[in-house]
Parts: sequence; C-alpha cells; structure tokens
Amino acid sequence: MSLLILENVTKRFGGLVAVDQVSLEIKHGEFVGIVGPNGSGKTTLFNVINGVFFPEEGKVFFEGLDITTLPPYKRAPLGIGRTFQIPRPFASATVRENVAVGAMFGTLSGKVNVDESLKIADQTIERVGLKEHRSKQAGSLTPVEKKLMEIARALAMKPKLLLMDEAMAGMHPNDIDQMVAFIKQVAEEDKIAIVAMVEHIMRAVVGMAEKVIVLHQGAKLVDAPTKEALEDPKVVEVYLGRPPEE
Amino acid sequence: MKKGIEKYYPLIPVFAAYLGLFLIGKNVSGMWQLVAMLLFYCALGQAFNIFLGMTGYVDFGYVAFMGVGTYGMALAITKLAHFEGLGIAIIIIGFVMALFMATLLSLAVGAVALRLRGAYFAIATIGVNEGLRFLIEGARIWNGSEGLIFTAQLNQILGRETASTLMTFWADIMVLIIAVSAAFITLYYIRSKIGYALTALREDEDAAKVMGINVTKYKIIAFITSACFAGLLGAASWALKTPYVFPPEVFEIHYTIEAIIIVLLGGSGTLLGPVVGGLIYGISKYYLSIFIPGFQLLIFAPIIIIIIVLFPEGVVGMLKNRFKDSALGQFII
Repeated sequence: MSLLILENVTKRFGGLVAVDQVSLEIKHGEFVGIVGPNGSGKTTLFNVINGVFFPEEGKVFFEGLDITTLPPYKRAPLGIGRTFQIPRPFASATVRENVAVGAMFGTLSGKVNVDESLKIADQTIERVGLKEHRSKQAGSLTPVEKKLMEIARALAMKPKLLLMDEAMAGMHPNDIDQMVAFIKQVAEEDKIAIVAMVEHIMRAVVGMAEKVIVLHQGAKLVDAPTKEALEDPKVVEVYLGRPPEE
Repeated sequence: MKKGIEKYYPLIPVFAAYLGLFLIGKNVSGMWQLVAMLLFYCALGQAFNIFLGMTGYVDFGYVAFMGVGTYGMALAITKLAHFEGLGIAIIIIGFVMALFMATLLSLAVGAVALRLRGAYFAIATIGVNEGLRFLIEGARIWNGSEGLIFTAQLNQILGRETASTLMTFWADIMVLIIAVSAAFITLYYIRSKIGYALTALREDEDAAKVMGINVTKYKIIAFITSACFAGLLGAASWALKTPYVFPPEVFEIHYTIEAIIIVLLGGSGTLLGPVVGGLIYGISKYYLSIFIPGFQLLIFAPIIIIIIVLFPEGVVGMLKNRFKDSALGQFII
C-alpha cells in the first residue's frame, strides 16, 4: 500500500489555480523532491497534504485513509510531520520543551505524558547533536541550530512522512552536505518517507532524492527518477527558458 | 520533571507573599484596606494570566466576566432572600451562580471570538463588554441601569453583624482563596500538556496545529478557566464587599486595562508574575494617589513604561531567565 496518494487535487484561491489537477504517489520510506520555480504551487501542495488547506477537488489518502478534509492537528498524529522554510520555533520555550511538544501531541496513541515526552525529547535532541543547547530558549539558537531543532521536533512525532519545506535554503554548502547526509541516514533508520521541497538548491535534491516531481504553474510537469527528471527538456525550459533558435 | 514535593516549590514565593500580606493586614492597624486592594489586584492578575499570559490573546472585554459574576451573586441574594433559613448557604449559591454565568458567557464569546486573532480578537471582545452593558441597561434586564441593591437582604438573611464582617473581612478572605486556587491551577496547567500546548500556540499557532495540537480546544480551556476565576472574583470582591451592582461600574473597561498592566509588569505566562505585578501596581497606585493626588497617573505612566522597557518579559520573566540554572530557579516559574 502506498503511504500517500493525491488524486486529481485542485486548490484555488479565487480565480488563481494554485494546484491544478495534481496526482501523485509516495511510497513508504521513499525520498522525493518537489521542484519548481517560485509560485509553482509547492507550498500550497504541502498545505493540502498536511491539512492547512482543503482542496476544492480531488482526494488525499494517507495509508489508505481518506484524509481530504481532516484538520491538521488530526493528521499530525497519523504520521505527517513538517518543517518550515523559515524555522518556526516556539521561541520562548526551551529546545527540550519544543521537541517534547512534538512527542506529546504528534504521536498516534495521544497518550504520551509529559515525563515520557521529555525523555523522548532528550534522546531526539542528542540524535541531532543539540545536546548542549537543550535548555536554551529556542529563539536564541542560530539559524542552522533552529533547523536542526525543527527536524528533532518533527522526528519526535515519529512520522511516517516528513514534509521538508526548503530545508536547505540559506545554508552554507558545507552545512548542506552534512545536513543531507544526516537526513538521509535518519530517514533510512526510521523508515521515514521524505518529501523535500526545493526551489533553488538542486545540489540537495540530487544528493538525496530518488524521485523528483516538478511543478509548473500548479500542474505536475514531470514525475520521474531524479537524474531523468532534471535532464528533461521541459524542466530545463521551465528553469532557464527556451533555448535560442538556431 | 520534578518529583514529589519539589513540584510545588514555585508556589512557595506566591504563598509567602499572600501570607505576608495577610499578616500585615491583620496586625498593623489601618492596613487592611490596602491589603484588600492588593489581594484583589493579585487575584485579578492571576485569573487573567491564565488566559492572557498563557495564550497571548488580549481579551479587552475581560471585565465582562467579573460583571456577570457580580450579577450572579446579586441575583442569588435578591431572588432567594425571601426563603427563610438559607443563611450562609445563599453565598454558596451565589458563587455557583457566578461560576455558571461566567462559564456560559465565556462559552458563547469563546465559540465566536476565539476564531479571530490579534487585534480582531481584542476589538470583538471590547464589543462584547460594551454590548452586554448596553443590553442590560437598554432592555432593562435585572433592573436595568437602576442596578440591584441588596444590603437590606444581606442584613435580613445573615444578621446585621455577620453581614458587616462579611463585607469588611470575609469577602477579602474569599478573594485570597480565589487567588490561591488560581495559583494552583496555573501551576498545574504550566506543568501539564495544557501548558505545553498553550505555549506552542502562543508562540506560533499555525506551527502548533501542524504539530498535532488542537489549538481551539486548549484556547477554550484557558478562556473558560480564566473567565470562571473572574466570575468568582466579581462575586466576592464586588458583590459581597459592596452589596450593589450597577452596569456602568461592573462593565468598566478600566479594570481590564489594569489586569493587562499587572500581567505584563509581572511577567505574562509565569506563576509568580501576576503577584509581583499586582503588588507593584497596587502599591504604586495607592501611595502615588496619597502623596501627589491628582497627578498620580502622570507619574505612574512613566514608571510602567520604564519597567516594561527594562524588563520586556516582565519582572518575573527577567528573574526566571537570570536564575534559570541556579538553585533559586526552581522557585521561580
């Protein structure tokens, strides 16, 4: 059974069709890159997947369950985690408390108590390498640490699917390599399917994705293994424009 | 998380403050008035902190819950006065009535207004407060703008002497009990899932939703809890201390503003904050109006501005950060 299936999903904002008849399928443990230029509907697609918006048409299935109109707080415990492009920590809370929130509310049983959550938080924080920062306020972390904290917060939810919103934007190339390696390792260990949204930094996609889905003006342009997708002339055209007539 | 008795350490400074106030009021002659006022401000701050401090939503109509609480007590006394032999039970019925009315109003307001955020929420709640006041006056509900006066009924039910000590002493003790209960509830909320959910939604509501938090549920929990304490406080401090109720007095937005100042001065979302805020606010207001009558607000405003600028997280917020890693830290949350 597939982990996530979108069937002809359309989301409009007034006259603007942000997501246009998109169908896609994500398998368990798969690493998928969603690529597309600015305004191509990537963020809206993410928001439809985790329930911030409900689509006007089409269906969303998670592990066979129809979640098309399920509110976000009910989707998270099913196993849908998310990180944001600009990290959104709960700034006044400590790193430990931030991550504990993920364990407390984001897991399926819904019965993880405060003590257990803090324990899970400690383990997860150690895993992402933020141990010495765990009692700092999350707002005082550096941007890279905030990203790691968001990943820890999402991991504490024990997700089956992790939506990563341009996780590499604004990072130094060396950090990107480290981060990519880390994410790949975690995903394999925990059998998490990752859908990473990428706007510019192709290097990250090439490094980790098995499959790439290219969006253009809300519609799906290409859905193919990474190398094939990135060499597709349609994709090149979307990014660089049509080659000059000879 | 702390085990056993250590869990309750943060209550020590709170209760020490209340005990100190009580002893000063009881033993220093002429101080009870001031102590009663300080207890009221501390209780008001603690009640409001459960909502404003923990969720970050500013309810400008907060005083409406105190208003309906006052009416709850007033209605119980005026409507039930002719039943013989109720005695002190009538006060208990009054508190139940106050709780009931505050809960009802908070459910009604919460269901609609909590869908709004930021300034929209604040404006909607002002509307509730003013609307309720004009509804009571205009539609002549509960005697309209003439209000309810029930000194005679209190004297008749309890006897003149009991009624008098009720007004001058026991009403203030009830305020103290309300403040202490609010402190317990606040600590319980901070330490439980509710506190984590509220912190998360205060900092970033959309991220909280995506993390699996049913934000509406937790906002309503905080809203109702806070409203219930306001209702009780109105019943104790306004209805019992001064046995009459007029709409313009109990729906006076001034009290909401005072509550906001107290919470922000002390440190919003902290346990000790509203107590410290209430003491600073109450003491400055009292002595400034004695020493420079007429000009107190002129001096008071800059004092508040200075404190807020120096300690943007409130006095207790600052102390909490400073002593986070020391032994003192476990007493300050």
